[in-house]
Parts: sequence; C-alpha cells; structure tokens
Amino acid sequence: MKISAKGWLATTTGLGTIALLAVMIWWANGEVESADRQRRRMSDVARVLNDLRLVTFEYVLYRNQRAYQQERQVSARLERQLEEPIFSDPEPSETLADLRRRSGETRQLFEELQANTNSRAADDSAQKLYEELISRKLLVLHQESLVDAFRLTDYSTARIAQAQQRVVGVILAGLALISLATAAAGWLIHRGVLAPIQRLQQATREVASGNWSFRLDIAGSDEIGEMSRNFDAMTTTLRNSFAQIERSNQELAALNREIEAFSYSVSHDLRAPLRSMDGFSLALLEDYGDRLDDEGREHLSRIRAASQRMGRLIDELLGLSRVTRTELVMRDIDLGAMARDIAISMQKLHPERDLRWEIAEPLIVRADKSLMQIAMQNLLENAWKFTSKSPDALIRVGSTVSDGRQVCFVADNGVGFDMTYADRLFGAFQRLHHETDFPGTGIGLAIVHRIIRRHDGLIWAEARPGQGATFHFHLPGGTSP
Amino acid sequence: MSEQKAILLVEDNDDDVALTLRAFKRSHLMNPLVVARDGVEALDFVFARGAHAGRAEAPLPTLIILDLKLPRLDGLGVLKALRADPRTALLPAVILTSSKEEQDIVSGYKLGANSYVRKPVDFTEFVEAVKVLGIYWLALNQLPPRPASS
Repeated sequence: MKISAKGWLATTTGLGTIALLAVMIWWANGEVESADRQRRRMSDVARVLNDLRLVTFEYVLYRNQRAYQQERQVSARLERQLEEPIFSDPEPSETLADLRRRSGETRQLFEELQANTNSRAADDSAQKLYEELISRKLLVLHQESLVDAFRLTDYSTARIAQAQQRVVGVILAGLALISLATAAAGWLIHRGVLAPIQRLQQATREVASGNWSFRLDIAGSDEIGEMSRNFDAMTTTLRNSFAQIERSNQELAALNREIEAFSYSVSHDLRAPLRSMDGFSLALLEDYGDRLDDEGREHLSRIRAASQRMGRLIDELLGLSRVTRTELVMRDIDLGAMARDIAISMQKLHPERDLRWEIAEPLIVRADKSLMQIAMQNLLENAWKFTSKSPDALIRVGSTVSDGRQVCFVADNGVGFDMTYADRLFGAFQRLHHETDFPGTGIGLAIVHRIIRRHDGLIWAEARPGQGATFHFHLPGGTSP
Repeated sequence: MSEQKAILLVEDNDDDVALTLRAFKRSHLMNPLVVARDGVEALDFVFARGAHAGRAEAPLPTLIILDLKLPRLDGLGVLKALRADPRTALLPAVILTSSKEEQDIVSGYKLGANSYVRKPVDFTEFVEAVKVLGIYWLALNQLPPRPASS
C-alpha cells in the first residue's frame, strides 16, 4: 500500500470514528428528549387527573351543574390526552392501558351517578346509599389513576437519567475509540514510514562511509519499499563498479610493474652490448689503428658514434618513462630562478656562446619541482640549440595572463619552424630539423609535453621559420596568485 | 703498495670483464684482479669456501667491484651478506653497473655500498671512471683497521 493510501486510510478512519460518535451522541440525545417529552406528557396527565378528582369530589359534595360541566370538560381533556400512545415499552404501555380503561370506567360511573341524582326523590335513603357507594368507588378509582400517573412520571424521569448516563458512556467510549484509532495510526506510520526512514538514514551513512555491502531489505509496496529496492540496486551497482575499478586498478598496477621491470631490463641489458661495441671499437683503434687506413678508422669512429647515440636514446627513453612513473609533489616553485640556474650552467659549459637572457623573476607556479626542472632544462636546451646560428641570440622566460590564467613561456629568436608540422612537435623521436644541422634525439619535447600533461596542464608552440619559436604552457594545479 | 692486494670484480658479462681489465691496465692499476661470475662465487671467494675452500690463509680483497644484475645471487644480495659478516662489514664495496634507476642507487647505498658508479657506454668515459675509482679507493682512501681474523 502506498504511503498516500495509508494516509488516506488513517484520515478516513479518524473521520469515520468522529462521525460515528456524532451519530451516537445524536441518538442518545434523542433518547433524553423523548423521555423528557414522556415525562412532560405524564405530568400533564397527572395534573388533569388531579383536576378531575377535585371536580368529581366537588360534584359528589354539592351536585351542582357547574361541577358537572367542569367534570365533563376535564374528562374529555383526559381522554384526548390518553388517546395517543406515549410509551413504546410494554410495561408502561400496560399501565397506560389501565389508565385508559379506568378512565372509561370512571366516566360510566359518573354518568350513572348524575342520572341517579337527577331522577331520585330528595329523601330516598336507599338511593342515597347507592350514590354514596358510586361516589366512593369513583374517588378510589381516581386515586388509583393518580398513583399510576405518578408512577409513569417517575418511570420517565428514571428513563431520562438512564439516557443521560448513556450519553456520557457513548462520549467516553467514542473518545476511547478515537484515542485507539490515533494510537493505531501512529503505530502504523511509525512502523511503515518512520522506522524505514530511520533505517534509510543509517544506510546512507553506512554507504557514505564506504560500506558498500550494506543492504536495506525493506519489503513493502509503498514508496519507501520501492526506494529501498532502488537503494539496494544502487549499492549493488556501485559495489560492482567499484570491484570492476579495483580489478582494473590491480591490472594496471601489474602492468605498471611489468613496464618497470621492462625499463629496468632495458636500462641494464640493452646498454651492455653498446658498451662492448664502443669499447672494442676503441680497443681496435688504439691497438690496431696503425694497420688500418683512414677509411677503416673512420668506420670504427662511426660504430662508436652510433653506439653512443643509441646509449643516449635509451637513457632519454627511460627518462620519458620515468616522467610517467614519478609521483607528483606539488609545491610553489620559482621557474625564473630555476631557469637562471640552468642558464648559468649552460653558459659555463659553452662560454664561447654570445647570448642574451631575459628571465622574469620570480615566476612562481605550483608544480612538481624535479619534473619541472627536467621540463625547463629541455625547453632551454632546445632554445639554446636552435639559436646557435643566430647572430643576436635572445632567450626569454616569463609569463603572461590570458583569460585570467597564468601562461608561462620560453621564447627564442632562433631558426623557428614551419607551423604546418607543429602537430608532430611533441611526439617521441619526431624532429623538424635535420640532425646534421641541430643534433638531438627528438625526445626532449615529448618529455616536456608529458610533464605538462602530468600536471593536467597545456602546452603549445608558436613559431615561424627564421623568426624563432615560443613555447607556452599553463599549469592549472594551480598557478599561485 | 708493496703487497698489491687483490681486487674482486663480480661481473657475469665477459665483454665487461675484458673492458674493465683493459680500463684497469690503461689506468696503470697493478693490483691483481680476481673475477667472480656471480654472487655465490663472489661470497665463496671472500669467505674461502666452496670452490675457493682451499685458498691459502684467505686474505680478503682490498676492494670489491660489484655488478647488480648477476645470476643466482644478485649484487644487492652479495652486499647484504658482506655487511652482515663482521669480517667484511667494513670492506670497501663499489657498485659498478649499467642501471641508473633510482631504486637501485637508493637500495645500494642503504645496504652499505661505498660508491655507486654507472658504466658509461662511451669507453673513454668508462676508463676515466675506473681510473678515478681505482685512484680513490686504492691510493687515496684511508681504509678502516682490519679486524683480527681468528
């Protein structure tokens, strides 16, 4: 059952109970009113009976016409009052029937008395005695009727009290019923709504703290039951996704370990034969150089150069893979100071180069220091290399603000390159110049690109042949204010 | 330098052995060079056991040059065994290897290596490295007092 249906049911039950109570009160009130009506009518009957008794008594005493007339009137009134039924119960109805019967009897006796009075001689003693008997009987009958009438009045009074008690009883019973219904509705709402909501709250807390295996298992067809089933389905899905991610992570970790083992082997085993090639070529040159002509010695030199070049390639490839494996340690670093130190050491190695540096200091970014050291080294070596044939060489390091973001740059006025091939710029082993013009392995910019990408940053280049190149990069994680 | 104690070279690659010998010769290092082909052989030589059980009075080498990647017991294992034994705990041991992986350098030093030298591809540089190594460890460095062997 839906919660709305439950609510509707509770409301209907409550209203129904109140309506029932109202009907019972109305009925009980009717009882009181009808008993009161009976009592009033019986009081009237008793009053009329009393009047009748008085006028009858007067007539018996004086035998005058006025008393006779009054008796007739009162007697007719009494008969009218007794005509309609007053009681529905058998016992008072019987008493009332007695009253009616007795009223007929008294009327007959009174007429007999009147006829006798009119016809008799003034001193007929036998007749007088007979009249006296009738009179006495009349008065006794009247007395009995009066007693009956008072008894019926008392009966009605008792009925009123009884009906009033019943009203109180009905109200109390109704109130008890309402309390019971309210308690039942409360209990139902607690069991069906509040308790499941509390459990749901506990479940969300459990799941939030990472307990994916927590199950609600709230049965029922209402909204909460459905919510519980959806919740359980959701945690199941989450748990499965989580397990899937965990498996993928483990696979990735295994793959990483494999790559590491591979790198290790490359580093160790691939270099050994190169060392032999270079070493024994040199041994040949040194020990047997005099038996070779210039061409032979040239060949050996080429073998040595090739071995050494491959050694450098291996080292740089390892460097590239190390960039991926290193864990980032983010802190505020000064790229300007870093660039200045690199510039000084490069200048020391090649004091013959006449080159101007323009480095903005400080140039604070938030990044991994050791990786950015490698990136700056590569960018500056690049600039250094490609300005080697420029007469008025200038390398600039600084930053601009574009779209509210800090964008660093390394710019040179060297040979530049054709932007048509810019998409190949950051790939490993990609070169835009001949190695004979500018030596290099073609990995430097790939390493820079990977370092910037590891910082979730962006790097792009602008260049024109003969007019230099500028490398821009943005490090989001985050640039210091 | 009258006694000319032996240098133990632990190296499994024949070419590297030949090149190291050549580099020693070119650096004018006159110490006899003993070559062990793997870690177990190296420890057998140092502690005069196994194939080297009959080695007379077992003089310890003056310097051990260790490659890391070796058959059976690797270089780090040898280093650990050397440092665990009081007789060889202070013996100079230099790692000479192709790897420049940070993990190798760190664990080498952690296990008590005295130096970590990477073999360059360029043989001229290699000779230079061996020369500096020899001069430093055999001529300049003041060795710790030898524990009395019982």
